[in-house]
Amino acid sequence: MTSIIKETQSIKEAVTFINAIDVNKFSRLISRIIQKLHLKGERTFSEDEEQKLQTALSLDKQALDLVLETTAFILEQAVYHNVKPVALQQQLEAVHLNPDKAEMFSQTWAATGPELVEKLKNNIFAPKKLEYVGWQLNLQMAQSSQARLKSPSAVLQLGLRKEDSEVQENVFADFNHQELLEFYNKLEVVQGQLDSLT
Amino acid sequence: MSSSHAKDFSFWGGRIPPEIESMSKNLKDVDQELFRKLMKAVVSSLEGKDCVSLMKSIAESTTIPQDRLGHIVAGMHRVLSEAIRIPPSSLKQEAFKENLRELRIPEDFISDFSSVVFGNRRSALETATSTNDPHLPALQDFKWRVDVAISTSSLSRALRSSVLMQMKLSDGSFHCFEVPLSKFQELRYNTALILKEMNDLEKRSILQIQD
Repeated sequence: MTSIIKETQSIKEAVTFINAIDVNKFSRLISRIIQKLHLKGERTFSEDEEQKLQTALSLDKQALDLVLETTAFILEQAVYHNVKPVALQQQLEAVHLNPDKAEMFSQTWAATGPELVEKLKNNIFAPKKLEYVGWQLNLQMAQSSQARLKSPSAVLQLGLRKEDSEVQENVFADFNHQELLEFYNKLEVVQGQLDSLT
Repeated sequence: MSSSHAKDFSFWGGRIPPEIESMSKNLKDVDQELFRKLMKAVVSSLEGKDCVSLMKSIAESTTIPQDRLGHIVAGMHRVLSEAIRIPPSSLKQEAFKENLRELRIPEDFISDFSSVVFGNRRSALETATSTNDPHLPALQDFKWRVDVAISTSSLSRALRSSVLMQMKLSDGSFHCFEVPLSKFQELRYNTALILKEMNDLEKRSILQIQD
């Protein structure tokens, strides 16, 4: 299969640095990076933490940045191509990463990889996403213009959330029996389409 | 005092509404043609249409003073709105006519009222008046799309299906949102559940709550 990591100059440099890092320290590093990989635009390590890492790993700022970026890059490629852990290990050894580090990548990937792929699959691209479905069934007895109704009416509550917001927007819609039946029939058509995809 | 049992129930409820009482006192010298013109204007206004110009032309065509016309129109409006409120299963035509006879409204006029309340324009009137009642927005337009994401910037083979929904509500608001598959199933399941509950409710309520 095509190699997912090409041995560019910066990869060579990064590999040298990574190989020099102590195995245990690297293990903690890689776990943290893979956990935060699905979050867009968030720094994996705070400024403070990066300072401490520089001292702990005896790397200057540039070198540390390279190591963090390259580790993240390797994992992103693994996700993108959905490589098998064994293949990942082989490819990393092919770019001269030490076997112990390559194995560590491979193990972390095997353990946390599938979960990460699921999270990324669910990352939305739509303006809003439906998060909550609630409802209430009422029996309407009367209103200003009509007495003695006894007409069932359902209120559907849809909780929508915008991608980068914590706030849920509620949409309320009223349905009588006929309207709800029409809505349901449309949902059935959608289901039919979904079924035909599998 | 008549001992007819229609006395036990007047379609306007307890006391005679003042508009209806004053209308019945102002119907002297009103011929059927004028009555019918006024009725037409009142029905038009109940349907939500603007009838200012219509009323003006009626006022100009008759010698009857405007304030008397005002009483008549107000009374007509009240009679019709009260009568339409009650479902035809509860208020029968004869009872309605009896109630109006008690107010000594001429028989011809009673027939005119009756033809509006029990005629084929009734359902249009009911729909028009119920739009003014408080209600949550209804779903006016519903469009959807099924998408399959083949590949994204993070995954070369994503193959994830999702549903995109677009809802336009009767209050003018517009919502476009994605529905993940699991939520779609939840929505579909809950809709079916409400429908079942509605069916059960309708079967029961007919038996229990008597008019």
